[in-house]
Amino acid sequence: MNKVKLIKYSPWLLHFNTGACNGCDIEVLAALTPYYDPERFGVKLAPNPRHADVMVVTGAVTKKAAERLKRLYDQMPPPKFVIAVGACAISGGIFSGSYAVLNGADKAVPVDMYVPGCPPRPEAILYGVVKLLSKLG
Amino acid sequence: MSLIEIPVGPQHPALHEPILLRVRADGERVVGIQVVTGYNHRGVEKLGERSTWSKDVFLYSRICGICNTVHAQTYTQGVEAIGGIEVPPRAQYLRTLVMELERIHSHILICAVMAEVVGFDSLFMLMMRDREPVMMLKELVTGNRVIADYYVLGGVRRDLDEVKKDKILKVLEGVEARVKYYKKIFMEDYTITKRLLGVGVIKPSEAVAYSLVGPTLRGSGVKSDVRADDPYAAYGEIPFNVVTYSDGDSLSRMLVRLDETLESIEMIRYIIKHLPEGPIAPKTPIRTLHEGEAFSRVEAPRGELIYHIVSKGGDKPYRVKVRTPSFNNIINGVIAYRDARIADVPVILTSFDPCISCTERILVIDERNGSTKVLSLKDLSRWGK
Amino acid sequence: MSKAVEFLRSLGLTCKEVKQARRYVFEVSPDKLRVVVTGLIKLNLNIYSSTISVVDYINEGVIEVNYCLWVIDEKLMIVLRVRVPRDSPKVPTIHDIIPGALNGELEAYDLFGVVFEGNDKLRRGFLVPLDIANQGVFPLRKDFKV
Repeated sequence: MNKVKLIKYSPWLLHFNTGACNGCDIEVLAALTPYYDPERFGVKLAPNPRHADVMVVTGAVTKKAAERLKRLYDQMPPPKFVIAVGACAISGGIFSGSYAVLNGADKAVPVDMYVPGCPPRPEAILYGVVKLLSKLG
Repeated sequence: MSLIEIPVGPQHPALHEPILLRVRADGERVVGIQVVTGYNHRGVEKLGERSTWSKDVFLYSRICGICNTVHAQTYTQGVEAIGGIEVPPRAQYLRTLVMELERIHSHILICAVMAEVVGFDSLFMLMMRDREPVMMLKELVTGNRVIADYYVLGGVRRDLDEVKKDKILKVLEGVEARVKYYKKIFMEDYTITKRLLGVGVIKPSEAVAYSLVGPTLRGSGVKSDVRADDPYAAYGEIPFNVVTYSDGDSLSRMLVRLDETLESIEMIRYIIKHLPEGPIAPKTPIRTLHEGEAFSRVEAPRGELIYHIVSKGGDKPYRVKVRTPSFNNIINGVIAYRDARIADVPVILTSFDPCISCTERILVIDERNGSTKVLSLKDLSRWGK
Repeated sequence: MSKAVEFLRSLGLTCKEVKQARRYVFEVSPDKLRVVVTGLIKLNLNIYSSTISVVDYINEGVIEVNYCLWVIDEKLMIVLRVRVPRDSPKVPTIHDIIPGALNGELEAYDLFGVVFEGNDKLRRGFLVPLDIANQGVFPLRKDFKV
C-alpha cells in the first residue's frame, strides 16, 4: 500500500524552532488554534518526532540547533516531509552571513515546501501544508 | 554509570525558543539546575555593525517576534538621543499605542501558555481565540500581524484615521470583558491555583539582588517599571498604575500580567482620545549620526530592555549592545527552583515568560542511581497531574 | 541630590557628561571596582545589575567594560566604566556582590574574552557555537571577520 497516500488524510506536524525570533512560532501556534481550525485537514501537532509526518521548521538555522534538527529528522519515520516556514528558514533571511547561522533549513535537512513571509500568516502556513498534501497525489 | 537518554520532542506547541535546563533531582526534589543556552544565538550584535543606522531598525525588530516594536523603540530612541532628533508628538503617541497592543497580546499569550502547561487545554484554546482580535488590531494599525516594522528613525510609517480609531475601541471592549473573566479564572479556579499558588517563591530582596526585571520583579512586590520611572515615548503624559503583587510566587507573576493587560487597554483608550495632530515622520530620512553614545531603556512585556549604542560618526553603528529581559530572568532566575518539585519546573519557567525557551529539553538526573533522562516540558507537566 | 551619586563623588570619581537624563557615567580603575560596588550596595538602596556592556576600541587598544546599575529607589542609572588593555582584558568579578551580574559576565567572557577574575563559572560555548569557540577567537571583537 502506498504509505505516502496514507498520511494525506491526517498529517501530524512536528514544530521545531531552530533559532527563530518567535514571530513565525507564534503564527504556527496561532494556526493550530480553533480560529483557523487546522483539524478540518486532519492536521494535528505530534507529541514527539516518532509520531510525526511533517516537520515545520521555523527560524534561521543556528549551528548549535542544526545538530538537533538533523537528529530530529532522523528520528521521524518515513515517509517524512519538511516545510520551511518564514524567510529565515528559507535562506537565513536577515541573519544570513552571521557567524552563528547556517543560512536556511535546506543546509541541514531536505526541504519539500517553502512558505515565504516574515512571518507568514497562519492561513499561509496551513495553505503550505495543504499544498504539500495535494502534491502527494 | 549508565546514562539513558530519552529524547522526547524538542517541539512544543506552546513555548518556542530552544533552551536546555539541566535539572539535578534527588527523587522528586530539585537540588540544582543549570541553564544551557546558545541554541538561539544568531550573532545579531555583530550583524548590526555591518548594516546602516536606518536598516538596523529592521534587524533589531527581528531579535524577538513577540516584542518586535519594543526592540525597534529601544533602538530608535537611542539613536534619536545620540542624534538629537525630535520625534513629533503624534508619532510618540502612535508608538505607545502599538507597544501597548503588543503588551496585551504578549501577556494573553503567556497566560494561555501557562494554562496549557498546567494541563488546562480548553482555557489555552479560549485565550488564543481571544488573542486573535488583538492581532487583527495590530495589523490594522501597522500593516502586519506580528513583525510590524512600524518604526523609522524619527517617526512611524502609518497614520491612524477615525475609522480605525472606532474599530480599535470597539474590539478592545470585547477583549477587556474576556480578560476580566480570565483574571477571575486565574484567581479562583482549582486547577490553576493548586499548581501556581506558592510555587517558585522569590523574596523581594532576592529579586533585586539577582537582577530580575519586569513582571517577575513586580510579582515580588518591588515597584519598578521603566514606563513610570524613566518615561519614554508618550508614557510621561499617559496616566497608568504600576501593578505589583507581593506574594512572589508564580500566581502573582501571572496576575501582574493580567492586571497590566487591563491597564494597557485603559491606556489605549486614553491615547485614542488624546491623540495630538501633526506630522508622523521627518520629511527627510536620517542617514548619518555624529559621535556619541546612549543607554536606552524600555519596558518590554517581559521587563526592562536595554540597549547601549555607541556611535563613532558616519552611517554605521560602532557597537550596539542588546540585553533582553529574559536574559536576566532565565539565567539568574534559577534561585526560584530551590526545593521545587520536578513537576513545578515548567510552571516556574513559564511564569518568567521566557522569551527564549522551548526546545524545552529538560535533563533529569537522578542523584541516587545516576541515570539521565531527557524530557520535554510537556512531559514534565504531565508528571504533575 | 541622590545618595548613590553623592557617594561616588565622595570617592573622588568624576562624572562624565551624558545627553540623556537620569544617566551618570563614572570612570573607575579595575583595582577599585570591587570597593566601589561594595560601597554602593552598603548604601541600602535597591540596586540591580542591568547589564554589562563591553565595547572594543581596537584603535586605542582598549576594551571598555560598562557596568550598568539601575537604582530603583532613586530612579537613575549608574554606569561604572572600566577600561582595560585589549591584549589582556582582566577585571575583578562582582557577581559575589551582585548575584545578578553573573549572566553579564558569562556573556562578556564568551563574546569578548574579558576575564572576570574570581568567577569560576566562565566557559566558552555559553552562546557562541563550538566551532568558533574552539578556535579561541571572540566573535564580537572588531578584528573578528565574518
